[in-house]
Amino acid sequence: MTALAFGILLLATIVAYALNRHAASRLRARGQPLHSLVGHHAGFAALLVLVPVLVLILLWLGLQGPVISRLLMGGLPQGVLDGLDTGAVQLIEAEITSIAGGRIFGTPEDWKLAAAARLVDLRLMSGQMLLLAVSLLALALIALARHKVAPEFRARQSFESIVTGLMVFASIVAVFTTVGIVASLVFEAGRFFAIVPIHEFLFGLNWEPQIPIRADQIAAEGAFGWVPVLVGTLVITVVALVVSVPIGLMSAIYLNEFAAPRARAIIKPVLEILAGVPTVVYGFFAVLTVAPALRSAGAALGMDVSPNTALAAGGVMAIMLIPFISSFADDALSAVPRALRDGALALGATRAETMLNVLFPAALPGIVGGVLLAVSRAIGETMIVVMAAGLMAKLTLNPLDSVTTVTVQIVTLLIGDTSFDNPKTLAAFALGLMLFLVTLVINVFALRIVRKYREAYD
Amino acid sequence: MNPTKISACNVNVFYGASQAIKDVSLELADKSVTAFIGPSGCGKSTFLRCLNRMNDTIDICRVTGDIRLDGQDINAASVDPVQLRAQVGMVFQKPNPFPKSIYDNVAYGPRIHGLTQNRTELDEIVESSLRAAALWDEVKDRLRQPGTGLSGGQQQRLCIARAIATRPEVILMDEPCSALDPIATAQIDDLIHQMAQDFCVIIVTHSMSQARRVSDRTAYFHMGNMVEYGETEQIFINPREKLTETYVSGRIG
Amino acid sequence: MTPSRTPMQQVQASLARRRRKQITLQVLGIGAISAAILMLGLLLTTLTLSGRHALTQTHLTVQVFIDPAEIRADRLPRGGFDDVVTAAIAALIPGADLSNREGRREVSAISSNGAQFLLRDLVVANPALIGQTIALRFPVSDPYDQLFKGLIDRATPEANRRLNDAQIARFDALVAAGAVSTPLNWGLLFNADSRFPELAGLRGALMGSFWALLTCFVIAFPLGIGAAIWLEEFAPRNRISDLIEVNINNLAAVPSVVFGLLALAVFIGWFGLPRSAPFVGGLTLALMTLPTIIIATRAALKAVPPSIREAALGLGASRQQVVFGHVLPLAMPGILTGTIIGLAQALGETAPLLLIGMNAFLTSAATSPFDASTALPTQIFLWADSPERGFVSRTSAAILVLLTFLIVMNALAIALRKRFERKW
Repeated sequence: MTALAFGILLLATIVAYALNRHAASRLRARGQPLHSLVGHHAGFAALLVLVPVLVLILLWLGLQGPVISRLLMGGLPQGVLDGLDTGAVQLIEAEITSIAGGRIFGTPEDWKLAAAARLVDLRLMSGQMLLLAVSLLALALIALARHKVAPEFRARQSFESIVTGLMVFASIVAVFTTVGIVASLVFEAGRFFAIVPIHEFLFGLNWEPQIPIRADQIAAEGAFGWVPVLVGTLVITVVALVVSVPIGLMSAIYLNEFAAPRARAIIKPVLEILAGVPTVVYGFFAVLTVAPALRSAGAALGMDVSPNTALAAGGVMAIMLIPFISSFADDALSAVPRALRDGALALGATRAETMLNVLFPAALPGIVGGVLLAVSRAIGETMIVVMAAGLMAKLTLNPLDSVTTVTVQIVTLLIGDTSFDNPKTLAAFALGLMLFLVTLVINVFALRIVRKYREAYD
Repeated sequence: MNPTKISACNVNVFYGASQAIKDVSLELADKSVTAFIGPSGCGKSTFLRCLNRMNDTIDICRVTGDIRLDGQDINAASVDPVQLRAQVGMVFQKPNPFPKSIYDNVAYGPRIHGLTQNRTELDEIVESSLRAAALWDEVKDRLRQPGTGLSGGQQQRLCIARAIATRPEVILMDEPCSALDPIATAQIDDLIHQMAQDFCVIIVTHSMSQARRVSDRTAYFHMGNMVEYGETEQIFINPREKLTETYVSGRIG
Repeated sequence: MTPSRTPMQQVQASLARRRRKQITLQVLGIGAISAAILMLGLLLTTLTLSGRHALTQTHLTVQVFIDPAEIRADRLPRGGFDDVVTAAIAALIPGADLSNREGRREVSAISSNGAQFLLRDLVVANPALIGQTIALRFPVSDPYDQLFKGLIDRATPEANRRLNDAQIARFDALVAAGAVSTPLNWGLLFNADSRFPELAGLRGALMGSFWALLTCFVIAFPLGIGAAIWLEEFAPRNRISDLIEVNINNLAAVPSVVFGLLALAVFIGWFGLPRSAPFVGGLTLALMTLPTIIIATRAALKAVPPSIREAALGLGASRQQVVFGHVLPLAMPGILTGTIIGLAQALGETAPLLLIGMNAFLTSAATSPFDASTALPTQIFLWADSPERGFVSRTSAAILVLLTFLIVMNALAIALRKRFERKW
């Protein structure tokens, strides 16, 4: 059905294009001076049909799911849903859907079979109505476009203003995305804070979302104090930075000042490969190689290293951050005007002194901006820690211990079946909101430093 | 003429395949000012940068020939450019103070070269250098403020003070006034006169009037060749070469 | 200051120390770079060493008598296919005892669980095979695969070994009978996922990634170019366009998991789009790729010299005609390069896909972007989490497949840049 609707859309667009093209050409052939080119008349018609019909189809497809679902569930026999929570209702709906799709498990009740039959009907009806609506709208628009063809019609201006509108829309999608992120996080987190008080979340020292404390309290389905999760995130971030910042900066210094051009041309892309490796690969590397190696190294030294040690997760995250920091630092060092370097060399400074006393301090704002962006990456990095860090929130600063992070908790809370009304699921959104806010502040700050720094030397 | 400080013999400079300096030979006198003049791209700055081996920092640049400072070959393998540049200071076209305080800018050279044993000595060097650069009175109350906050002319004098502070024997100046206004230029001109009492000063300039005002001797460069070299008065009033005459009389350049 | 020493002597005295310092700095730099490259080498080496085991799969070839007593044409697709295969294997093992359940299970466990279904499909397709003897090649189960590839150390004490001495002896008999071979493991690419490592393949994941990337491209490419053109060529310089610009730069740095939360709450929660669908995954990836494409497109547009715009404008073209007719075609190589790099990033993105449920266990590949599916990176995550030993090498192999795709895409981008590199 959907494919057919898109087919009609395509056909109508072509028809509108061809009709107007033909009409405009005939006018011109009759010797009438046209204000706009034939191509503009045709393009105007095509866009006039394409845009509204496409919007109609997308809206329909977006809305039919919830509407059908409401009609379906509203039409169930009286009483079958009484006393069921949202999760159970969703399960029933899923079962009806799967029966309608032909996948029947066991022997469902008759009312479910009837509902499934009605679901099939509803879907069919929705599809037919969509086709009808699309066809009518397309015909009307084709007629409208054809009607517009006239010598004095400013087809180019009309065409271009539609194009401008489309471009403005495209630009605003990015803004919509941010708005969507903020709205969804704030909304769901708001529902969470209605169940768990916000001060408990912000200052609580226990994070045990899975363990009910007292069954008779809704809010007591666990403890939701994010402090240990935050501390765990910071421990791993610190480990990652302690490893990656020196290595990244030293690499950048060497590449920028000492490496021969040919060596630089080889080393830089090789380092960039590290930046292009997907994080899930790093996560597997941590589990497969780094964690066991650290564990046996720890055992050899007589230390007890947890299998999910923060050291492994942070260390592997550092590998990912090295190229990021080094390319930022390299760019910042390259942006320092040559005159400063010449000035130092002409005073008799060695190249090392020039680098350490003049170039590096001059590039420091840019480098700090890059390191801050790396911090934000480390905090928001997910797959490495999901695979290599722990699940239990432990309030500890020991990097050999197992800690958990904000992102790990978000993923573990949301993996599997989720319904949007228990504190466990909503807690993930509260964590997501905090994560978004923290990284946003760091990013805005870092981007501003970097921008200021670039302007200073332009 | 004072005793010779630097002698250059058959110097050639290549940038990749193109030749920027062709067989230049000349002798530069101590405790005097020598000006290099000539149209843009004639090689005068390139030649100046040979004298403290700044051309080493450009990868594709190659220098041949014999340049001697006090009789010592400066391109010899045993000579560290670091040491040479401590001996031969340089001031650039655009003022390039480090993004540090005024004090630290001047103290940078003495610090890295280990010229002082304690703070008092360093303070003395900074003060005397700033005085020698005629900047002391203007900045003595704000030595801790960044050097980049000064005006263009002050920045350039700061760079001169910075160069003087390492106690060099020769000071190279690469169009030091091209980015400055006339008043600042006049101050620098006075300074150059002063400096000639202690140093061998070599200045590259675009401005013929500046060359005439400040220099004792002048060399005229054209397309990588040194066309003429002599007493400044003679070069400007009675040039021996036709090319020099057309340039100093303003017909080319 | 010692009066006897000139400044030059002091400089000379400091030189050795300063040279040492310079060498120290250089050594540190080389050390840092070597450490980074060593890490890359270690990463690739361990993955290759581990993944190479999954490039072949141990197979068993036996003569199967399709016993009419066990398999009857009128009862297909049901029948004792398992027993028939087990009997065929036992025929090659001297002393195999099928009389009791224990003995049957021991022999049956050598073959993959998929062997009986392979035979069943053959017979269902051609019932005439009943009563005949055919050569059947099928994968062995994971422990025996590991044994044949030398990943189980026979020297380990029996109690700590995954296979006991009797099991190893039975398999050795099969090897001696020449029934064991290790052909290339095409199943890794063409099979769908399975609980059994020897049967598991990436077809579902590849299809899922394909649909998701296609969706991502179809959405992000036009939107990204449209937004970039407007911002670069038409937008008035005011606070609104500033806001959009800052917003795009920040969006590029938002953690990917946050996009997953957005997709979960908005696309699945509010719009009611299906969970686990590559379409939703692609939609999410499109939002993440959009900033990359916009930034790359703007850079490419900026690189087109203004003289071209002025020349066309001077001929009386409208601004849109100039941009779409002259500037955009010249900027296209740069735009495509940026797009490919953005898509390569999207291909490796995992966290947002996990949140929208693209980590479901599915034994069939998606045929449309709206079917539930996994994607390559989420499949890697799934396999990495699986306890069976055989999944370790398969995870590495899946990573190698993913890295191959990324290398090809990046090489394409580099080639494109080189091919159309233009000096203005």
